Amino acid sequence: MGAHQVLLVREQDGQHSGSGCCGRLGGCHTELGAAADFSHSRARMLQIGEVYRALRACRPALDVVVVDPRNVVWLYPTVWRSARRDGLGRWAALRSMARAGSPMAVVVDGDTLFAGRLPPTEQVVGRILERIDRRFDA
Amino acid sequence: MPAFFLIVIALVAFYLGYKFYSRYLAEKVYALDPNFVTPAHELRDGVDFVPTHKHVLLGHHFTSVAGAAPIVGPAIAVYWGWLPALTWVVLGTIFAAGVHDFGSIVVSARNRGQNIGTLSGKVISARASTLFLLIIFFLLTLVNAVFGVVMAILFMKNPGAVIPALIVIPIAIFIGQWAYRLGRSIIIPSIVGLLILYVAIPVGQAYPIYVDGLAEAVGLSVRTTWIILIFAYTWIASRLPVWVLLQPRDYINGQQLLVALVVIFAGVLVGWDKITAPAVNDVAAGSPHWFPYLFITVACGAISGFHSMVASGTTSKQLGNETEARFVGYGGALGEGALALAAILACTAGLGAAGDWNTAYADFGAASGGALGHFVDGTGHFLSNLGIPATLGATFAAVVVITFAGTTMDTGVRLQRYILEEISELAGIKALAGRVNVLTTLAVLVPLGLALVPGGDGKGFAFGRLWTLFGTTNQLTAGLALSVIGVWVLARNRNPLAALIPLVFLLVMTTWALILNLFDFFAKGDYLLLVMDAAIFILAAWLAVEAFTAFNRERHNASQAQPAER
Repeated sequence: MGAHQVLLVREQDGQHSGSGCCGRLGGCHTELGAAADFSHSRARMLQIGEVYRALRACRPALDVVVVDPRNVVWLYPTVWRSARRDGLGRWAALRSMARAGSPMAVVVDGDTLFAGRLPPTEQVVGRILERIDRRFDA
Repeated sequence: MPAFFLIVIALVAFYLGYKFYSRYLAEKVYALDPNFVTPAHELRDGVDFVPTHKHVLLGHHFTSVAGAAPIVGPAIAVYWGWLPALTWVVLGTIFAAGVHDFGSIVVSARNRGQNIGTLSGKVISARASTLFLLIIFFLLTLVNAVFGVVMAILFMKNPGAVIPALIVIPIAIFIGQWAYRLGRSIIIPSIVGLLILYVAIPVGQAYPIYVDGLAEAVGLSVRTTWIILIFAYTWIASRLPVWVLLQPRDYINGQQLLVALVVIFAGVLVGWDKITAPAVNDVAAGSPHWFPYLFITVACGAISGFHSMVASGTTSKQLGNETEARFVGYGGALGEGALALAAILACTAGLGAAGDWNTAYADFGAASGGALGHFVDGTGHFLSNLGIPATLGATFAAVVVITFAGTTMDTGVRLQRYILEEISELAGIKALAGRVNVLTTLAVLVPLGLALVPGGDGKGFAFGRLWTLFGTTNQLTAGLALSVIGVWVLARNRNPLAALIPLVFLLVMTTWALILNLFDFFAKGDYLLLVMDAAIFILAAWLAVEAFTAFNRERHNASQAQPAER
């Protein structure tokens, strides 16, 4: 039985690659202004943060990785490898990869459980644990 | 010499720099401790503070720092020959950027993930954080000005790139609606968007867009007309919610960056092109000398102060283990150096015969004004090695740079708006508080004025002078970060020379170039640039005083006081 890995996909508050270092954006959390431009991103970060903390509380040893969907070099190969290792077919693995590339997603052992919007935290955590335990039993 | 050899030489140097110099930094200068509890663990909240695997973090860090600037600087700097440009890129990356980026992460991590602006106030002096704010103000003004000119030049020289560059806007808006409003996955639409963009490239070539008629109708030059149109677009773009255009465009840009890097290096490997450009160019009379101008022409790609903001802004908060700062910080600097190397290759080996290169780089005005055009043509040649027509490849490269520059301006104007608001608050100007349209207009008008300032050298606008001014400000930001790093190292009774040497070098080169520019701008009657240069010179002198005072203070304190924190 290999270790389980949970990927919590969400955008970082800083900008990425679109403009390089010269376009570093500010916001209340980067101490370069008090703009609310990224409040929607911040809301997603906070929601993922809740899931992260809840998972840490109930399964401290679980490998939880928070990753930006624009980190294409790492994210998609990781989802593909995990999915294939966990027994998903090629088509299912591809579908999981495609869904993982959302502004917000939850991936367990290569299987994308949620993409786009998340239900309440308890529901997300319950589903993650169920997925992990099911695999553990199998 | 085959261009491939330069890749090998640079990559071997980078490898050695990583293996030996970064290890020296890690062990002797920053004294990394694998048992140190990083802010990511100490303040772990799953939001800002998240221990992150080093490979994931390198991806985040590198994509945050890589952009168009490491292309523009080297594309101008090869004017002095490929050898000085390559040498500065390689040595700067290893001995300056690596120290700076790596150190910014470490010092920030040792201070609970605080950013470099806050740290400058804490480690150097309270005045230094005001200095930081002012440097950033000038830096952003110049960023917006230079990228406005960059886009105008590329649109003028590559009218076929206009349609693809415009197509990106509705694609990004669609992706934004798809992802953020409907909550759907973004990766497939962004790949499809990228493909539509590439399909638009031959369409754009078939239907090039010129603004000559408009320019004639309003009585302006074509370049001025493009610049005004670009800034008008920027005003609107920077007033839109970020999720509508800016954020979704990031996805396309990120993929473009990867594709561009792959095709350039693949094109070099397949084509086995030779560099016919001179190793050291015998420059035209009246051109600026490479010493000190090389060191401010290439900022990003050798050392960039902006990286300290990324390093201390988000990267330091996600560092899982302090020892990984070496891999992420130093590794990210090497990645940026590799991008600069790609630009050097495109503007030397990619330009073909020696005669073509000599025409393209006839004097500094041609070199700087045409730098992006040379990069675009060179990349087009590399793509032709892969079976893609060179003109199509050139338009592809132009679109890459234009979309990067456009996003930079969009974000730059936004950030400038915040800075203006902060400065007006500090100055007690209440009339500007919350006046977003007024602040945005100010954030647009100042760089617009700079972008339109005419050259006084009789050869038209010399973009390089504006670019080198941007370089000086960027190097000052790096100087401020290196001061913070050096003082922090000294306060721990360790040898600060690794930070001190690049700091002194950058300060000397920057102030030297600023003084030369002062005389030049005065002689040519470029009074707007003169005022800008004088203001930056004052900031440089202020920084030198702050850094000297702080080092002196720590030199006396270090032997007596115990470090406040490790």
